[in-house]
Amino acid sequence: MNLRIEALPEATYVVPEGRLDFDAAPGFQEALERLLGAAGKAPAALIIDGAALEYVSSAGLRAVLLVTRAAQRANVPFALCALQPAVREVFDLSGFSRIIAVAPDRATALAQAQQGRP
Amino acid sequence: MTARHAAVPADAAQLTVLSNFLREFGAAAGLGAPEMRKFELALEEIFMNIVMHGSQPGSTPHVEVSLRLTADALTMTVEDDGPQFDPLSLPSPDVTASLADRRIGGLGVFLVRSFMDTVSYSRTAGRNQLRMSKRLEG
Repeated sequence: MNLRIEALPEATYVVPEGRLDFDAAPGFQEALERLLGAAGKAPAALIIDGAALEYVSSAGLRAVLLVTRAAQRANVPFALCALQPAVREVFDLSGFSRIIAVAPDRATALAQAQQGRP
Repeated sequence: MTARHAAVPADAAQLTVLSNFLREFGAAAGLGAPEMRKFELALEEIFMNIVMHGSQPGSTPHVEVSLRLTADALTMTVEDDGPQFDPLSLPSPDVTASLADRRIGGLGVFLVRSFMDTVSYSRTAGRNQLRMSKRLEG
């Protein structure tokens, strides 16, 4: 999996490209926790843009859950957006879309993250 | 009817081999990507369960994956010679738990059950056998 990071003033957008599976999950989690933990440089908000995310398994869900908690601890507004239908289905079935903000697009995700609601 | 078979040691590095095996099977049979992703997920969840829980010191189980395509369904069987373990006996996760209370244990098997039409376990001749089947669209 390739991770594209776009740091903008209002938010840092993370675009995972490919598969968030058992193999990719630890690196994904580590990269996002590093972004959240950057001393004095934590992003104004952290948005995961799932437009290029093709696949997620329970190992990927676990990483997303841990990153969500890390964002909460760091007081960084956090949301996901633009999930492809197959990935969205996994989030819905597992109940994750009820506890983590999942928005249709970046603008909505940012608004939801800032309001702190799933 | 088409059938294919792959055998690997229960080692996390082999997941790519199995995923490729499954994808190649799907492509050759002309199956749609959305349906193959569900089988890919099922294979990852079940295989990684065996990798994490099936190994004992000094012994790595052997895993065999069989695919069998009939006119309207695909059946995937995953067998291993590790200790007896029925993943279907795991309690279902609470998918309504709050963010703070969320646990991941059991979520993989829950997703497999959700995506497949039938999932069954048997222990035969010292082997765990998990059989998953799903009707194919169109």
